[in-house]
Amino acid sequence: MNPTIRRTSGGALALVAIAALGLLSGVPYTPDTAEYAVVRLAWRARGARVHRCRRPTAEELAQLPPHMRPEEICERGITPYRLRVALDDAPAVDELVRAGGARGDRPLFVFHDLRVSPGAHRLMITFEREDAGREHGDADDTESHDSRETPRRLDFADTVVLAPRDIALVTYDYERQRLVLLAASDSGP
Amino acid sequence: MRRLTRAVQRAAWRALTRADAGLNRLYGWRYNPLYHSGALVVALFAVLLVTRIYLLFVYRLGAPYQSVAALTAQPWLGRWIRGLHRYASDAAVIAVAVHGLRMFTQGRSWGPRTLAWITGLILCFVTLICGWTGLVMVWDGPAQVLAQEGARLFDVLPVFAEPISRAFVGERPIPSAFFFLNLFVHIALPIGLGLLVWLHVSRVARPGLLPPRGLLWGTIVLLTLLGVVWPAPLGPPANLFRVPGQAPYDVFYTFWLPLSRALPAGVVWALIVAGSVLLLLVPWLVRPAPVHRPAPSSVNESLCTGCEQCYLDCPYEAIAMIARPGGASEGRSALIAHVDPALCVSCGICSGSCAPMGVGPPGRTGRDQLSAVRAFVAATHPGPRDVVVIACDRGAGGVAGGLAVPGVHVWPVTCAGNLHTSVVEFLIRGGAGGVVVASCPPRDCSNREGPKWLEQRLYHEREAELQERVDRRRVLLVHAGLYERELVVSALEQLQAIIASLERAKGEAEFDLVRECEMDTVGS
Repeated sequence: MNPTIRRTSGGALALVAIAALGLLSGVPYTPDTAEYAVVRLAWRARGARVHRCRRPTAEELAQLPPHMRPEEICERGITPYRLRVALDDAPAVDELVRAGGARGDRPLFVFHDLRVSPGAHRLMITFEREDAGREHGDADDTESHDSRETPRRLDFADTVVLAPRDIALVTYDYERQRLVLLAASDSGP
Repeated sequence: MRRLTRAVQRAAWRALTRADAGLNRLYGWRYNPLYHSGALVVALFAVLLVTRIYLLFVYRLGAPYQSVAALTAQPWLGRWIRGLHRYASDAAVIAVAVHGLRMFTQGRSWGPRTLAWITGLILCFVTLICGWTGLVMVWDGPAQVLAQEGARLFDVLPVFAEPISRAFVGERPIPSAFFFLNLFVHIALPIGLGLLVWLHVSRVARPGLLPPRGLLWGTIVLLTLLGVVWPAPLGPPANLFRVPGQAPYDVFYTFWLPLSRALPAGVVWALIVAGSVLLLLVPWLVRPAPVHRPAPSSVNESLCTGCEQCYLDCPYEAIAMIARPGGASEGRSALIAHVDPALCVSCGICSGSCAPMGVGPPGRTGRDQLSAVRAFVAATHPGPRDVVVIACDRGAGGVAGGLAVPGVHVWPVTCAGNLHTSVVEFLIRGGAGGVVVASCPPRDCSNREGPKWLEQRLYHEREAELQERVDRRRVLLVHAGLYERELVVSALEQLQAIIASLERAKGEAEFDLVRECEMDTVGS
């Protein structure tokens, strides 16, 4: 190949390659193309600590060697909460929120993104402590409470108006001890 | 699975070899960036390290987006340094991918090279994580998406006591600790990269850690120019109360994002684990069956003179000089070469390095080569105007498979770098007019350093050199990739012309001698 043509072609290819690098470094991309809005439910709750003890049943004792038979079987944990959400009077969420962590002794976390069409939406939320679970024989529950504990029941009812791509956040206000709505504000640090 | 891997390997090899040939035509093999992909990665890491120092001084944890925006607005310094940093990191991903693909397609990933393959994969992974943290530090729209996606993926792992996603719901401002953590990882990982690079090249001698000067500075200048002309993209600031809209995304570090966002986090992890395991298994998937696996070199102790040349030339530091069992004696050196089979890749470079032909893989030592060439000469009877082409069967324009040119005989070899110079001498003395040695380009030798040592043995008196009595005008070394047959043919024509002129001159000299003799006879 003629050296001049080779040099020119080599230079041109290098420029094309570097321009391609620049282009690929900033490709316009829209992660979510649909023009929806989001109602986000995100909060952290502290349930009551429960120390529940019961006497083992005769069957349970029979399965254990004599030297390992306890007088009481105790469980520690944090009471779960039932979350119910209705959006425009239609049920959107109904779930039991359990405490986090492998031993279930961490706070409860609520995190839901509900996609909605832009416009006004009627939102109703109930977050209520669930005290079920006394199936086994005689039980002796001990509950401990502290001042930062989330109330036994939280209610929220409001109409949210959302523009396309807006996110409305419902979260728990520790000071006022209730669910509050936060909307479009710059969250940069 | 093995069959599929090999099919992919062959297809990728063909594509890469064609690309090599194209770039060789434009830049020559010395400056072909594909041949220097590994060295380019190291050079780009160095550029990233230097530019990072400046960026660290201007980056503010309390106002990440604002500080990066202010930096990008600086026309004299900040804009091009940020651009160079960003584009160098993108170029590093390309170089890493090309280097990995090269090693995979050329089958340089198994046996003693397994360590290099595995550390290379870790390097690749660390580079991607480093880029991820770098993009998040900017805290623009894409950074928000990357952070939220990362949090979503990590939240399914039973590692964190509280979900990380909560940090990005907008309930409170993003804590500076998050940006500090990103910054820390972005700085700490490159320190680990240095250690990994050292491990990566620990089994090769004389690793080429930097590309040739022209390629190095050419790359840096082009990336800097790009940074000046086209500043590194910056999206709109992150806003946790808006669903992210269109923004510029860096394909090199976010290519996985569309797929990841479309799948449940557990499936994404399953794909990551499956992909990683598959890549880690490559050394076992591509290695030949035991019967086809080349045996490591061995040393014939009775022939070893302890000259150390094989120890110096071995590209994998697989040869050590040890005390001769029984000690030195009359005519026997105190040291002999010893090959560590765990480090030997059976490249055979030592065969060409050993003047007394005492080392090499079974069937490829200098003595084996001489036996083979003796049979070749007996079969082909090369004449004084004939040329023998010794061609590497991995490249060399593909002429090892045959070349239909009258007066040309092709002798294929597994690697031209293994060639013992006595073979060339034998061919010339056996009647051939000349010898063309066609090797792969030096930076593309599957066995590293083969063509480099071969050239020095043929022309620069490196130990095991071509003897002085051999007419160098009849020997030509040409470097050509698989799809560069024209280079070999051109070298062949050049040598044939030289041989023709040498034969003509020889004929004229003989004619003059006869006439002088006749005149002397008449005179007397």
